[in-house]
Parts: sequence; structure tokens; C-alpha cells
Amino acid sequence: MMRAAGVCAALFFAGSLVAAPARAEKVVVLGVDGLDPRLLQRFMRDGDLPNFSRLAATGDFKELRTAAAAQSPVAWSTFITGMDPGGHGIYDFVHRDPQTMLPYLSMARTVPPSRSLAVGPWNVPLSRARVESLRKGRAFWEILAERGVPTAIVRMPVNFPPIGARGSRELSGMGTPDLLGTPGTFSYYTDTIPGNAGEFTGGKAYRVSVTDDVVAAKLHGPENPFRRKKKNTSLELTADFQVYLDRANRAALFVVGGREFVLKEGEWSEWVEVEFKALPPLVSLKALARFYLKGISPDFKLYVSPLQIHPRDPVMPISSPPDWSAELCSCVGYFSTLGLPIDTKAFSHGVLDGREFWDQLVLVDDEARRLFRHLLRGHRDGLLFFYFGAVDQGSHMLWHYMDKEHPHYAPDDFLAGGIRKLYQRMDEVLGHLLDEADRTTTIIVMSDHGFAPFYRGVNLNTWLSAQGYVSFLHGAGSSGQGFFADVDWNRTRAYAVGLNGLYVNLKGREKSGIVETGAEYERLLDELEAKLLAMTDPATGQRVVTQVTRPRRDFNGPYKEEGPDLIVGYAWGYRSSWENPLGGFPKEIITVNQDAWSGDHCIDSRLVPGVLLANRKITLPSPGLDDLTVTVLDEFGVSAPVEMRGRDCLADGERQLEPGRTR
Amino acid sequence: MMFGRSIKLERELYESAKKHAESAGYSSLDEFVAHALEREMARFREDDPEEQVRRRLHGLGYLS
Repeated sequence: MMRAAGVCAALFFAGSLVAAPARAEKVVVLGVDGLDPRLLQRFMRDGDLPNFSRLAATGDFKELRTAAAAQSPVAWSTFITGMDPGGHGIYDFVHRDPQTMLPYLSMARTVPPSRSLAVGPWNVPLSRARVESLRKGRAFWEILAERGVPTAIVRMPVNFPPIGARGSRELSGMGTPDLLGTPGTFSYYTDTIPGNAGEFTGGKAYRVSVTDDVVAAKLHGPENPFRRKKKNTSLELTADFQVYLDRANRAALFVVGGREFVLKEGEWSEWVEVEFKALPPLVSLKALARFYLKGISPDFKLYVSPLQIHPRDPVMPISSPPDWSAELCSCVGYFSTLGLPIDTKAFSHGVLDGREFWDQLVLVDDEARRLFRHLLRGHRDGLLFFYFGAVDQGSHMLWHYMDKEHPHYAPDDFLAGGIRKLYQRMDEVLGHLLDEADRTTTIIVMSDHGFAPFYRGVNLNTWLSAQGYVSFLHGAGSSGQGFFADVDWNRTRAYAVGLNGLYVNLKGREKSGIVETGAEYERLLDELEAKLLAMTDPATGQRVVTQVTRPRRDFNGPYKEEGPDLIVGYAWGYRSSWENPLGGFPKEIITVNQDAWSGDHCIDSRLVPGVLLANRKITLPSPGLDDLTVTVLDEFGVSAPVEMRGRDCLADGERQLEPGRTR
Repeated sequence: MMFGRSIKLERELYESAKKHAESAGYSSLDEFVAHALEREMARFREDDPEEQVRRRLHGLGYLS
């Protein structure tokens, strides 16, 4: 085992140097999604985070300005490129196509093969399908790689597919789909379908029958890319599995594709390899899944995680070089590859309860820690960036156990301290880094945004309708199906898509745009901004919106006209409602959030700054994400290109350079 | 069915469906038929571009 680890460590960075770096430095950046400065300070004061306290005392700690909108794809893209959304083009988790008015995920898209050959029922692709990142601009590690600085960029959000900069090693992060091409689709097998199964999103319930203590079921894979599609037929690939129940021992034997394992009730499996035979015996699609045996009787209940792209045999590019994910697998074992691998949807729908969600959180976090320790051991030179997602996902889902004011508050002695425990787990990672790093290593801990409670949801589209900006075809309103059902675009002036986006129905841009560019457009934005900032919640009397950003006015770069026309920053405790982002029009403008997803950050960006800690003095009084990009470049003596407008936040006065100048 | 609506089936299909519903563990033939129809309609829905968009977006925790 030790020998294997040594070999793996030696492989790290082998052959990655293009030329001697301008200034040899070692930099380690821990990217901790959602690490909040207020909570961090509170837990530090309580003495629960000795290593964060040590770093803050010997180095420095400041809040880190986040992006508007304060969403992970936007914030991480800002860090990656050193530019605001006008430069990188990512404004929200969800964008819209102005021709179809349909929403889509903003980070990446799949381009189907351009040519294929139909042979009977088979469809033989003559070119490969490909995925492409929708983020624009150059990533800082591309610039480092050009200057010969070796980099390892592990699970950086919005880096799917990985850029593949020469001399860099990259494992993709947030934005990487599951095998079905979705952000994550769980499966739930049971003989008693829950009443809310029809409302499941991000997962499906499958009815199974228990016959002579045996359950025979199928894992549901993607559509077979080699079969010709006929209307109203399913080309879904499936893989059989069987479960043999041992009622006396409250356990079961699983047979999945010839592999066998035993789970007790309440136990999680290791990663299990699953194979979908697409073109037997030539082509199969491989995935990894975890099984959780929730119950045997009186009801059979089995949860299966979203199907992860197999790191040893990926069907889509998840690393660069392409075989790096397999190499990591050989060193640390299987690991999750889904962008957001902790299943919040299964918890929201009650398929997993709070404790089960916690167990999955720890499993995912444990494998991240294992991977980090392995890479740190091999870090000889250059930059190591490593992303941790458990604090973010835990803060979203466990807030209501900690906050008695929350409408979904649930008393639970263990989970009440869940978020604190996640910070402590991160403190252990930091302690390991501080102990292992030599004196020449620059250590940076940063987060993309902080956190706030999500008490009340705002139906911005309903508000726009009430204010007369949206009209419906049949007068009465939307039929409630989402996707702007029944909206009369010929009489609609503004609409909302995504978690913070508000768009004008602009002539020449939207398919049925009616608002003229120029004075009419500007007048409408002035009017909307004033009304948004004056909106109050009738139940509380509080202001609902405290920040409005206008990309065309407030951002820089070639893509500042491609995003929303207004970015709406909600007040503390508020967020976009559940229905609003995809064009829904619920009856009420403000609704109470009764979901386990109880903490959030998609609000006024000034209310949810991230954190910045370093083992050096932070010299900028109010550093932001774009400053950090320049900082990382400057650590290696690489000057920032002119489009990056930030400043090195660790430099003393003498080292503060104008963008574009080389030291 | 659930709201008193009835569907006519050939006797042979009725008997076969009843047998299948019992062996598969459905609590009634009505439940089995409803489930089979739901499953079949889901396949139609998946051919719908809006349904495809829904499927691609809805696993994201931030959305309903």
C-alpha cells in the first residue's frame, strides 16, 4: 500500500513542466464552497476551529467580496478568469434561449454528433458527440501553464469539460453531469410508492415486488446512442440487479452485474461498478453507483445514487490529461465524479432523512479528503487548487436544524450541530495542510460566497404580472406548468429566469420582443429598479430586494449584453421562490419556504461575502474574487492580462502592479 | 377507476392483467392499470422538448 502511494505521488506532475517557471513558488489554494465569514468567526470564538484560528493569527483573515449574482457558477467563474460576468458570460445557474424562451443550465452543453449512419435499428455515429463549456475568457491556470508553472486544478466548478491547458492536470467539478446528462438523478426502489413520488424532481421512484424474499429490478441508464430513435419509443439502457433478503438478520445480498455484496439495513455500499451494454459485445457505458438499503420490511426501500461517470472509463471528458482520473482511481480508489455529488433532492423529497443525508455527506467528504491528502503528498512545485463542497451542500440542507426562526425548523440534537461539524472537518483538513506545508508554500483558503437563511421565496414573475409587465393569452393567468405557459409575449415587457435574473422582452433579441432598445429600454429598467427596491413583504413589512445590478452599466467585457438586464439581489432571509426560476407563476408573490433546502446565498451579494485566509498579510482592505486571481498569478511572477482588473491582495505596496504590467 | 370512470378491456386482456397485477404485488387491478398508463405517458412526455429541459434542470438542488 505504501509502495503504491509512493509510485502514485511520483506520477503527479511528471512531464508537466513546459519550461522553467519564472519564479518557483509553491501555492496551495483550498476552495471551500460556501464557507461563511460570520459562522467561521463564531466557531473560531467558541474554540472549535484551532487551525483556522492558527492561520488567522499567524497570517490573515478577511471577508472576500463575492460576485453579483452570488451564485457558485458566477463566483467561481469570476475567480477563474479574474473578470466579472461581462467577461466570462456566466450570470446564473440558469440562462434562457431568447428564441425559444426555454431555460438551460449555464455551465456546459452537449453537442450531438454531426454525422451518423443508420443501419437497420442501429445508429452508428461517424463523429463524436462533444460537450463544451459555456464559460468564456482565459482561466488563470492557462496563463500559468503558458509560463511553465505546473498546476493541478481539482474539481474547480465550471471547468467541465476540463480546459486541458498544456502542463496542467485537471479534474472537473460542479457542472459535471451524471451518466444521464442531468445534474443528478437518484433511483428509489420500493414496494410502496410514496404519495409524493409524482412530484419527485432529480430522481425517480420505481415500484418493485418482493417475491419469495427476492427483488429483481433494473438500473435505468441513458438512451442507447447506437439505436435509431422512433417516435414514442424508449431507447433507455438498463442493467438488471437482484436483491436477496435475509429478514432474520435484517440484511440483503445484492447481485449487480455479476458482483455481489451484502448490506445491512441502514448501510451504504461502497461504489459499485455498473455496466450498460450499448452495442454488445463491443461498446458498454460504465458508471458508479452507491446503494443504500433503507429498509427491508414492512416496506422494501432501496436508494441508489445518481450514476456517476466512471473515473476509470469515462464516457465524457472529466480530466486532463484524459487518463488522469483513472490514474487517481488507481491511487485512492473510486470516487464520485458528479459535479454536486451530495444528493440534496433525495433529502428534500423525504427519500433520505436528515441522518441519512448526513451519512452521505460524510462519505463524499471523506473521499475528497483522501484525494486531497494524496495530491498534497505529491505536490512538489507549482499550484495545487482543491475544491471542497460539503460545507456548501450541508449549509443548504442543515440550516433548519440550527435556526429556530426557520419555518422548517426541526429539533435534532445531532444535526443542530451539523454545520459546525462540517466546519470542524474542514479545520482538520487545514490542520493537515499547515502541518505538511513547508515554509516556502503560500497557503490560501477561500470561499466563493457565504450563507444566509432561506425563510421566504419571492415569485418574481408573479410580481411582474401583478405590476402589469406580463400578460397572458387567456387573460386569467398561467396554467401553472412553468416555462411561461400561456404568456402572451406580444404584450409582455419583462420576465424573470434563473435565481436572480430579470430580462426585458427586447425587440431584436427575444423572438417576440416588444421593447425598443435605447430610451424605452432604459426607462423600463429605471422603472423596474425603483419598483424592485420599493417592494415590501406584506406579512413582515420588510424590503424584499436590497440590490439591483445592471450588467450593461455595472460590468465590463464583451458579454455584458448577453446576460439578464437586471440582477436582483434579495434581502436577508429571502430568495427566489422554487417555481420562479423556470418561468412559473404561482398565485402568491411571497411564499414560506418549507423545504429542507433551508439555507441559501442567492441574495444581495454584499450580504454573503466569502472568506479569504492566507499565511501572509492580506494587504488589500476589501479584497474580491477577481483580486485573488491576480494574486495567484503574481505569486508565480506572472503578470495579469489587461482584462483582469483585480489587484494582488497579498502584495506589499511595492509589489502592487497595474494590470498588464510585468514585474 | 379512481373517480368512477370505467375502461373496457377484452376479457382475455382483463384476465391476464389481473393475474399480472396480483403476481407483481399491486394492491388492485386499478392500481396496476393506473401505474402502467402513467409509465406509458411518461414515455410520451420524454419526447417533449420541455420535458427534456425539465429533466436536465431539475436535479439541481436550487430548483424545484
